Amino acid sequence: MSGARPLALGAAAVLGGCAQGAREDAVIRFAVARPPRNLDPRLATDATSERVNRLLYRTLVRLDAAARPVPGLARWERLGATRYRFRLGEQGRLFSDGSRLTAHDVVATLESIRAPGSRSPHRAALAGIAALRACDDDTLELALHAPDAALPSRLVLAVLPAAAIARDHPFVTAPIGSGPLRLVERPDPDALLLERCADGQRIALVTVRDPSVRVMKLLRGEVDLLQGDLPPELVDHLARAPGIAVRAVPGANLSYLGFNLEDPRTGSLAVRRAIAQAIDRPLLIRTLLGGRARLAESILPPEHWAGRGDLAPWPHDPGRAQALLAGAGFGPGNPLHLTLKTSSDPFRLRLAGALQAQLAAAGIALAVQGHDWGTFFGDVKAGRFTLYALTWVGVRSPDIFRYALHSESLPPGGANRGRYRNASVDRLIVTAARAPSLAAARAPYAALQAIVHAELALVPLWYEDQVAAQRATIRGYRPAGDGNYDGLAQVVRVPVAAKEE
Amino acid sequence: MGALLGRLGEAAASLLGVCTLVFLLIHLVPGDPVAAMLGEGARAVDQAELRAALGLDRPLWTQYLDYLGGLARLDLGVSLHSGRAVTALLAERAGPTLELAVAALALAVVVALPLGVLAALHQGGWIDRVAMGFSMLGAAIPNFWLGPLLILVCSLWLGWTPVSGRDGPLSLLLPALTLGTGLAAVLARMVRSSLLEVLGEDYVRTARAKGAGPARVLWRHALRNAWLPVLTLLGLQFGALLGGAVITETVFAWPGLGSLVVESIQARDYPLVQGAVLVIALAYLVVNTLTDLLYLALDPRIRSR
Repeated sequence: MSGARPLALGAAAVLGGCAQGAREDAVIRFAVARPPRNLDPRLATDATSERVNRLLYRTLVRLDAAARPVPGLARWERLGATRYRFRLGEQGRLFSDGSRLTAHDVVATLESIRAPGSRSPHRAALAGIAALRACDDDTLELALHAPDAALPSRLVLAVLPAAAIARDHPFVTAPIGSGPLRLVERPDPDALLLERCADGQRIALVTVRDPSVRVMKLLRGEVDLLQGDLPPELVDHLARAPGIAVRAVPGANLSYLGFNLEDPRTGSLAVRRAIAQAIDRPLLIRTLLGGRARLAESILPPEHWAGRGDLAPWPHDPGRAQALLAGAGFGPGNPLHLTLKTSSDPFRLRLAGALQAQLAAAGIALAVQGHDWGTFFGDVKAGRFTLYALTWVGVRSPDIFRYALHSESLPPGGANRGRYRNASVDRLIVTAARAPSLAAARAPYAALQAIVHAELALVPLWYEDQVAAQRATIRGYRPAGDGNYDGLAQVVRVPVAAKEE
Repeated sequence: MGALLGRLGEAAASLLGVCTLVFLLIHLVPGDPVAAMLGEGARAVDQAELRAALGLDRPLWTQYLDYLGGLARLDLGVSLHSGRAVTALLAERAGPTLELAVAALALAVVVALPLGVLAALHQGGWIDRVAMGFSMLGAAIPNFWLGPLLILVCSLWLGWTPVSGRDGPLSLLLPALTLGTGLAAVLARMVRSSLLEVLGEDYVRTARAKGAGPARVLWRHALRNAWLPVLTLLGLQFGALLGGAVITETVFAWPGLGSLVVESIQARDYPLVQGAVLVIALAYLVVNTLTDLLYLALDPRIRSR
């Protein structure tokens, strides 16, 4: 099997629609840990749904590997400070119901997100749009309330057919998109049967919540492919298993330790620095993650267009940590007692245990509280914590800085969960947002990341690799750094004979 | 007839109590469904508009009356995360759950009944010791361990069954076995102790004295009475199984109610939690009401009270 076939399929998927007939290829089974809950891309909030929806629909704009906006369905030009024109190309213009995607569909989709009472989590991203209209079938224009160089990156939104929106079509269960795959059926509540438009290859998305069982299904051949949500020991086991190929790529999801900065203890910079220097991150990556992660110094990874790769890590130095604690008034006679909240996920608890031991070596007594996800996340949002461990998943936009660090973004109006307040950072966030171009926004973003890194508003731990495991008969699947399933648009099953050649 | 009507009335009152309690609990626990839908980055104005659109800005008692009205129309609302009707989500899970519950219960009864009877008839002998040893082991093994062990042996090593999923009758075997083992163990002990108690009763001695053979004594006189406490246990266990067996469903990727309930609780999907709790409570009430009615049929003393 050469690499030409996946490439050809990819090209066909880009150019084609879902009008071609199905082939007799056997179904490729892809195991996921959680089922997609919502196939309406305007409403979906869970990661699995978002990843599946990327395959069922096409977006107006896409983000490249550095998260820069690049044309998706449309190219754009800036007509003035507050005016954009988008022109649809010829690629991906066929909806799975056979109708042609036009600028009217784009307008209807955006208007349905912007509508008063809309349930869409994307509504806030479109708040800057003052008006939009379809000039003709291929062109639409947007007017903004204020200049916004980042507008195109806010339009990574799937396009739905206007007629179906108007008749209140249940996209939640019956998606109509122009993506490389279409939904054939839901064989059971936790499974999807998809069909690739380019060649009719059928792909079943099977939910198997238990990671050990997911691995056993792969070993037995009941599934062909799985990605993510595997503890490192199972990845190691798969890597040694005959007939299974494991592939890891650098990930972009940041695991971090969050502080409550309104707590007098963790509000002290000396204490935060002591904690950061008491943690041996390389050791944790080696032992807990099997080496499948890279150190992180900021929320955005270095390869992001607004990221920084030059921030010096806080070195592991328990002696320095003890000295910092002593300076803050803590020591053997008055040990620092802290509580770390985390979810009850086994890996998270294991990480908490390791952190507990490392902080103990620096004289910090860390109590660990594991809660079910809902309670834990509710406590974090409500500020009922001193320390917590979490992961930012799917962060592609530098808007994350406003969302997570601006002093006006305290929950429930944002995700500044640590209650971080810094006037300079606030100013830089606003400056970057008002920059006339992405290039001009880089400097303020770089400056604010340096401040946040120095002040340790949070302790970035690592970006965990994305790992996929597949049977030897499966080719053409490459995991993505953000964990998306885009590789399903190219994946193929090779005949056993071909595999042996 | 009076007893029957009384029992049905109690069940209806219990159901109304459950509905009220669930509604109040859901509205008292921390968490905002609007924030869950729109995400942390939503603007206050968007949140307010959606809250108004969903009617969540109205007084609690108005929302309660709407909720009861919805229940009367079998409308349990819409899931916050999937946007689908709660009744549809519960309905598509009810079949697999019922299937698994019936299979596990049938398996448990088929194993436990002869085991308990044999143990009672051979009290103190090796059969009794083996049966009760099995029973103790079955009750002690947790499902999260038994399930993967069965998969390892039956699926990976022997290749007899699928690892997981709901794909044909064979795929039901391991989850039913996992779920049924613990139940069979408890049932076997209950059958044994209940039968031993009955076998010592005067009317059994009388039956023997009248010349009834061991089989007739067992089937006609002893088992019929020994069944009553077993029936109670079966009713309770079946009700619990209908609520969804979370661990077994998770291990075997069984698309039942249990995993849906856990996910909806974790996601704070309040309408779905509300609907699921209601359905589970209803299942308990129905099964236990049926159990009580069976009692009436089996035991003339209760009918005459």
